[in-house]
Parts: sequence; structure tokens; C-alpha cells
Amino acid sequence: MSTFRVIAVREMRLALRNRSILITAIIFAVWFPVMSAVGIAAAAGGDAAAVAGGIAAITLPVGVFMGYIFCADAFLREKRDGTIETLLCAPISLRRLWEGKAAGVAVPAYLMTLVSAAVTAATVAGLTGAPVAAEPLLLVHLAIVVPVWIAAAAGLIGAAQLALGMRENQILGFALIFGFIFLVAGLQQAVPGGPGISAATEAVLAAIGAALLALARFIAGKVTKERIVRTIP
Amino acid sequence: MNAVEVRGLSRSFDGRDILSDVSFTVGHGEIFGYLGPNGAGKTTTIRILLGLLAPGAGEVRVLGRDLAVDDDARRRVGVLFENNGLADRMSAAGNLTYYAGLYGVDDPAERIDELLTLVDLADRKDDLVGTFSTGMKRKLGIARAILHRPEVVFLDEPSSGLDPGAQRMVRDLILELSRREEMTVFLNSHHLDEVQRICSTVAILAGGRIRAFDTVAHLTAASDRPTVTVALSGRDDRVRACEVARALPFVVGCDADGDTLHCTLAEPGATPDLVGALVGANFRIEEVRRSSRSLEEIYLEHVGRAEGGP
Repeated sequence: MSTFRVIAVREMRLALRNRSILITAIIFAVWFPVMSAVGIAAAAGGDAAAVAGGIAAITLPVGVFMGYIFCADAFLREKRDGTIETLLCAPISLRRLWEGKAAGVAVPAYLMTLVSAAVTAATVAGLTGAPVAAEPLLLVHLAIVVPVWIAAAAGLIGAAQLALGMRENQILGFALIFGFIFLVAGLQQAVPGGPGISAATEAVLAAIGAALLALARFIAGKVTKERIVRTIP
Repeated sequence: MNAVEVRGLSRSFDGRDILSDVSFTVGHGEIFGYLGPNGAGKTTTIRILLGLLAPGAGEVRVLGRDLAVDDDARRRVGVLFENNGLADRMSAAGNLTYYAGLYGVDDPAERIDELLTLVDLADRKDDLVGTFSTGMKRKLGIARAILHRPEVVFLDEPSSGLDPGAQRMVRDLILELSRREEMTVFLNSHHLDEVQRICSTVAILAGGRIRAFDTVAHLTAASDRPTVTVALSGRDDRVRACEVARALPFVVGCDADGDTLHCTLAEPGATPDLVGALVGANFRIEEVRRSSRSLEEIYLEHVGRAEGGP
């Protein structure tokens, strides 16, 4: 098994064993979609495209926030406990360690986001009395755009958590997560076609997600072991 | 080639010198004790050796390699920091399996069973590490550190926070591992008794500089001013015996304690002359013993000097 997979699998296992993080993620995956579904059902009525657009609009912020929740275990806890220092002595590069951890965060965050999308769709269907159609663009959104953004969020937040001290993490963590969410909302408004789902919206979101992922990789490459060790509390 | 080489190492943080021109070597198979008070720079030295921090000046090598840039060379090195590097929410075997994957250990299941048996945790193999005592975690941490059969292992305060029984257990474990696995052990410790018992060589770091670097045997035996303990017959006048001893040119100090005199000599070879002078003054001597200093005395002397003490 490659070291990338070893690290990613371990982070996924740890995430699934962290009761408090799982409960937070599940509450967010259910509560937020249910609240949003009421608005989606009221605004869209029976319009399948509008319902798909509504679901697409909430899955990105949910996915980014899920990434933030799971990063707390994979990156921040490891640093707070000091166990990251032992991992930095292993025969792997810092980039490989970051990649494995980011993947280990992104997978459960993505799965929880899919659960959230399913809950939203079920709630909207329940409220409108009509099943939510499987819009091709919504499937593209869930299969491509959402995982790319979650990976970018996990990578950026993880790199920041490795590089920053605990106090800076508390402040900048929130700044980063809300920055992400405002960016998502702003893009959904700014792209031609508005907040609904369209090929243009999905193309722009996918491109920007890929750019953010590349940015995360670039920033992670700038983080040094010295920086991490010197900011361990 | 030595297992560890440190030459002219200096490092400062925020304008404060932590290490200044530190140099020492550790031979293959040695158990090396790195001593110093809190904040002396011991952990900084280990971090630089492991490539976690960059040296400000000087050069460090482990097995002839620079671990900061040589990912593969780190496969030959093990490390135990104070936090053990273990995940509480994984089992003992799960933690070891993870590190076996990172280090590419062949046949990890067999090696994990072997080590868990060695550290007496085989029956807790599948239990979560979060349920372990501090001593059990430390034993598992040591097993993790040597899982991949490293040639050099760095142990940073392995007995810290342990009760005396657990400290002894860790000490015995280090000796056993050194013997069985034939590895070089770099032991960073505050426990001078522990270091004196298990280390072959020590370096004392204080004020950012190496104050002593020698074998434990040589440090504790050799002294510029050896102390000799002389047990007198109970009827002899100890106060007068002290006066006789102090009058000798090669005796720089003498104290009476019960039936014994503790004489500090100006030169190592003066013991027969002291005995001859006391016998010549009609004192009856029952026992003469050359006292070696403990590592603690030597340590406190060097640290005291570094801190401007007497």
C-alpha cells in the first residue's frame, strides 16, 4: 500500500471513530439541508431545474464546512497533541503527508455532503409532493464540482492549520471557512445564469475549484517542518 | 563513521542563543546520554539532528546523512518524543500497523506481535490506546520507535512523567532493546540515575554549550581532586586525625563523619601517603575507600559553573 493511501485510510478511520466530530457533521448534514429545503420548496415550487439549482447551491457551502469539521481532527488535533512531530520524522515528504491527510479529510466530508444532498432532496420531495428529478447538471455538480471544492478546502485549511499557531488558527480558521462560503455564494450569484444550475455556472465553479486546489498544493509546498514544529503548543 | 556527528552547531531563536558551537559524536551501538537543565537546548539538538529544525551554523549528520533533505535515510532512524506519537482512538496494533505502513516494514504482523510481546502488551493488542496508562503508552511508544529496526533511535525524556516502577521498566527495556536490536540509542534525559545506569557516554549541555563529553566511567572515576574515605577504629580521636590529615600538603580538605574521615586530595596518587601519615600518627585504620563521584555531582558542578555558581 502506498504511503499516501496508508495516511488517507488512517485519517478516515480516525474520523469515523471521533464521536464528537461525527455528531457535529451529522447534525450539520441534516439540520442545514432541512432548513434550506423549506426555502427551496417554497421558491421553486414544482420546477425541477430550480429545485436542482437550490440543492446545488447549498451543497458547496455544506461540503466546504464538512471539510473544515474533519480538518480539526486530521490536522489541528495532530498538531495540538504534538504527534505531528513524530510523523514528520517518517520517511515521507511533507507534501505527501499533507496530500494523504487532505484526502483522508475530503472523503468523509464528501460522503457527508452527499448525505446532506440526499436529505435536502428527500425533504423537498416531501414538501412539494413530487420526487426530485435526477438533473444531469446536478449529478455533474455532485460528482465533480463538490469533491474538487471539498479537496481544495481541506487542503487549504489543513495547510493553514499546520503552519499557524493555535491562536492564529482559531481566528484565521473562521476567516478561511467564511471566506470560502462567501466566495461560493458570490460566485453562484455572479456567474451568468444566477444562483440556479447551469452549464456555465458548473464550468466556472469547477475551474475555480481546480485553481483553489492548485493554490492549496502550492501553499502546502511552502509550509516547512520548522514552521510546523515551532508552532506546536 | 560515527552514528551521530555534531560539529560546531549553533542555533538561536528570536535573537536568543540556544546552542553555541556544540560538537560531539556518538559511536555505533552506544547508549548516549544527553543531559542538561530545562531550556538547555537538548530537544532543539534532537530536532536539528532529525531535520525538523535547520541549524543556524555548523553541521549535523546521522549515519552520515542529513535527515532534513534525505527522506529515505529517515527509514534508518527511530524517534520517541514525549507524546509517544500514538493515536488514542486506535488500538495498539492499529497504531503500529500505521507506522509499519509508513516505514515499509516487511511482514508487519509478525514484527508487531514480536514487539508487543517484548513490551508486555500482547494481551492489550486490540485495545484502544486511549485506555492505556502513561507507562503502557510509553512502552508502546518505544515499540513504535523501533518497529522498523532503526540503526539509531532518539528517545526524548522516555521516563518523564512515569512513577519509579515504570521508570525502571523503561530503563530495562532500553537496555534490552539495545542488546537485542544492536542499535545506537540517543537518550535525552533529566534522570541522572537512569543515565548513569544505562549510558556508556554522556554529554552535558548547559548555557547552550557542551560542558562535558566523556564516557560515564571516566567522568565518574577521574577527578582532579579525588576523595578518599578512611574508616578509623572507634576509639581513635577523629578530630585529631582530621588535623593530622589537613596538615599534609597534598590534602586540601578533611571532614569527620562518625568513625570515618572524608579527605579530598590535591592529586590522585596521594592515597598511600595519606594512609602512611595516619598510621605513622598511631591511628588504626579499618578501611580505605576511594570515592567516585556520582553523575549527579558532576552534572550539578558543570551546570552550576555554566550558571555562574561556585
